[in-house]
Amino acid sequence: DLLQWPQISKCRSPEMETFSCFWTAGNFYNLTVPRILQLLYKKSNEEDWKECPDYITSGQNSCYFNASYTSVWTPYCVQLASKNEVYDKKCFSVDEIVLPDPPVHLNWTLLNTSQTGIHGDIQVRWDPPPTADVRKGWITLEYELQYKEVNETKWKELKPRLSTMVPLYSLKTARDYEIRIRSRQRTSEKFGEFSEILYVSFSQIGIGCDHCTEEVEFPWFLVVVFGVCGLAVTVISIMLSKQPRLKMLIFPPVPVPKIKGIDPDLLKKGKLDEVNSILACHDNYKTQLYSDDLWVEFIELDIEDPDEKNRASDTDRLLSEDHLKSHSCLGGKDDDSGRASCCEPDIPETDFSASDTCDATSDSDQFKKATEKEEDLLCLDRQDNDESLPSLTNTDLHHQHRNTQPESSHLWAPFGDNIESPRLSVHTQISNQNSLTSTDFYAQVSDITPAGRVVLSPGQKSKLGRAQREGCAEQNFTMDNTYFCEADVKKCIAVTPHEESEPRVQEQGYTEDGYFTTESLTTTVANLGASTAAPPSSETPVADYTSIHIVQSPQGLVLNATALPVPDKEFNMSCGYVSTDQLNKIMP
Amino acid sequence: MSAKGASLKGLLLVALLVSHMLLTKEGVTSLPICHSGSANCQLTLEELFDRAVKLSHYIHYLSSEMFNEFDERYAQGRGFIAKAVNSCHTASLTTPEDKEQAQQIHHEDLLNLILGVLRSWNDPLIHLASEVQRMKEAPETILWKAVEIEEQNKRLLEGMEKIVGRVHTGEVENDIHTPWDGLPSLQLDDEDSRLFAFYNLLHCLRRDSHKIDNYLKVLKCRLIHDNNC
Repeated sequence: DLLQWPQISKCRSPEMETFSCFWTAGNFYNLTVPRILQLLYKKSNEEDWKECPDYITSGQNSCYFNASYTSVWTPYCVQLASKNEVYDKKCFSVDEIVLPDPPVHLNWTLLNTSQTGIHGDIQVRWDPPPTADVRKGWITLEYELQYKEVNETKWKELKPRLSTMVPLYSLKTARDYEIRIRSRQRTSEKFGEFSEILYVSFSQIGIGCDHCTEEVEFPWFLVVVFGVCGLAVTVISIMLSKQPRLKMLIFPPVPVPKIKGIDPDLLKKGKLDEVNSILACHDNYKTQLYSDDLWVEFIELDIEDPDEKNRASDTDRLLSEDHLKSHSCLGGKDDDSGRASCCEPDIPETDFSASDTCDATSDSDQFKKATEKEEDLLCLDRQDNDESLPSLTNTDLHHQHRNTQPESSHLWAPFGDNIESPRLSVHTQISNQNSLTSTDFYAQVSDITPAGRVVLSPGQKSKLGRAQREGCAEQNFTMDNTYFCEADVKKCIAVTPHEESEPRVQEQGYTEDGYFTTESLTTTVANLGASTAAPPSSETPVADYTSIHIVQSPQGLVLNATALPVPDKEFNMSCGYVSTDQLNKIMP
Repeated sequence: MSAKGASLKGLLLVALLVSHMLLTKEGVTSLPICHSGSANCQLTLEELFDRAVKLSHYIHYLSSEMFNEFDERYAQGRGFIAKAVNSCHTASLTTPEDKEQAQQIHHEDLLNLILGVLRSWNDPLIHLASEVQRMKEAPETILWKAVEIEEQNKRLLEGMEKIVGRVHTGEVENDIHTPWDGLPSLQLDDEDSRLFAFYNLLHCLRRDSHKIDNYLKVLKCRLIHDNNC
């Protein structure tokens, strides 16, 4: 057992007129000489400790101070002591230790009952503790009521209130209740003791309802079942309903991937031109096209042309003569389609002069300068060559040419000086040139030389040598990489006199920058040795390729003149351009 | 015409509402200012006492709470409560100490005493409100309670003076109130001493507010309800 000192357990005043202090004696009281415990008290304004006036009234181990000894707002100190020893001490003032007695005379009355008789309201009344002088206002009490059913364990509490009556609503008449009340001083926190328990029993006053024990509980199960069914029916009806708006409201559609401005249905079944026009609207797509394939011309479809509308396929459109005729590059027709600039590879000068959109004038000047360095044989209108040639002196040309570039980069070597003359004639005749048609050619680039020239894939068989040897044939005048007009072919100007220069030039041709076709190279070599004039193997299907002279992206390309593998058939070239259907005959 | 009438009615209703709001803006009581039919439009003594009791109860509640909070926050472990020397500056005013004395004293004297105590607390409450702000990390609740108590005390004083004017029949008593000289102790540098000074002051405030509350209730029951509250 632990040694416990005597302790003052509590001091309490029930009505603010008297007070009592209680202590515990401890457990060593019997061990030694029996001590006598005293309670001494002192008011704050006194100096001497006085002994407790009444040890009896409040019971054992207590000290009772009656009204004459009590001053309410005066601080007291009490101490528990024996002869020499002080065991405990407490200081307080009486207004702080007020704990009222419990209320008395609890009773209840019935206010009313519900229509079914299952529930009832009662009014509970009580009296304040008799010791507390509430009537004269010396002390103000508030009460807290607690109640519960008889067989319950937990008490329900009401808020503390000043009045000595309180209604209790909605009690079950079939059950019995217990009520208890306690009080406290109004501004204190601690409550006094509970009153005696009040029993409430409705059956005693004859309104108990024994057969009302079965309470109507809320039918949760039915509610859940019906709720689920109703929800399911609603959902199904919404899903099956024809109203798209309602459906969309409840079940919003999941967005599918979509490109702004492009209808996926159109892509599936729309026409190609429409799709193209739609796609062309998107700049991204356009730039992509440009960036990917600079070497490919753009084929602009002239939708406005009524003739073209009749075309079924695009290739027909591409290759049709009508299309070419009506090509806007001729005659200076200028529209915003941009086609004008993109279509004439053969006669860049004429194109440029004819069409505004092709940056004609500036480029033509450039071209003139460029041709001094490079050899181009473009669509040469040989018709005027007769006139132009005499005006030119070969030597002058040679000098001009060679002064600028000692190593002439003649592609079409055999023509040597004469190349220049037709070229120059071309120059002079730029303005006069009336190219009738324009042919769109596709040139497949097989390689790019380190120097930067483009090597076109295969192309014509070597006509280089052949052309030299053949002489002037009206037809089938195929030269490597040369366009020849009919007139030219007939006159066969360029070929014969320059055979001598052929080897030299050819060598030069090989070494110089220039546009070669791979096959032409090989065949030229082959033909160098051979002097047999092999007939043009026109049967072999050879793709017609145009070498690129100048890239004028994005308007178009200036292509070098190429010789066509002129077939044995009649090959009427108008101004050196091969029409597309002629091409078609050539090509496989 | 009907629209006009409706708008006039609405306007009148709004005016009434606004005036009612303005008149009852003080939350202490909703007692009518004027009795209907009264010529003087004065509050009855009962109403005055009711208001006074409400105010005194409120002041005691605030001071009690404030003391508890201060005790929790600052006084734990410092042994303030053990110091029995707890003299308040109003101790010189001989107020009834028990019920018997309270019942025997004349109501006018008691009213004067109440007035004296209230006046004595005017000054300390002002300084308390200002000095509490300087306390280290003073909780917000203590701060606003100090200000509130000071304000309500003024109002209670006014109300008591009215009551005294009504009740008092004879000549006006001398103004009895005790001065307060505890301000320097609230401004001590030593934190312990300063906190003890605050503790003391708050303790005295709680006690005196309880006294006043009790006296007023006793007076009310005696004068208004004839000792039958």
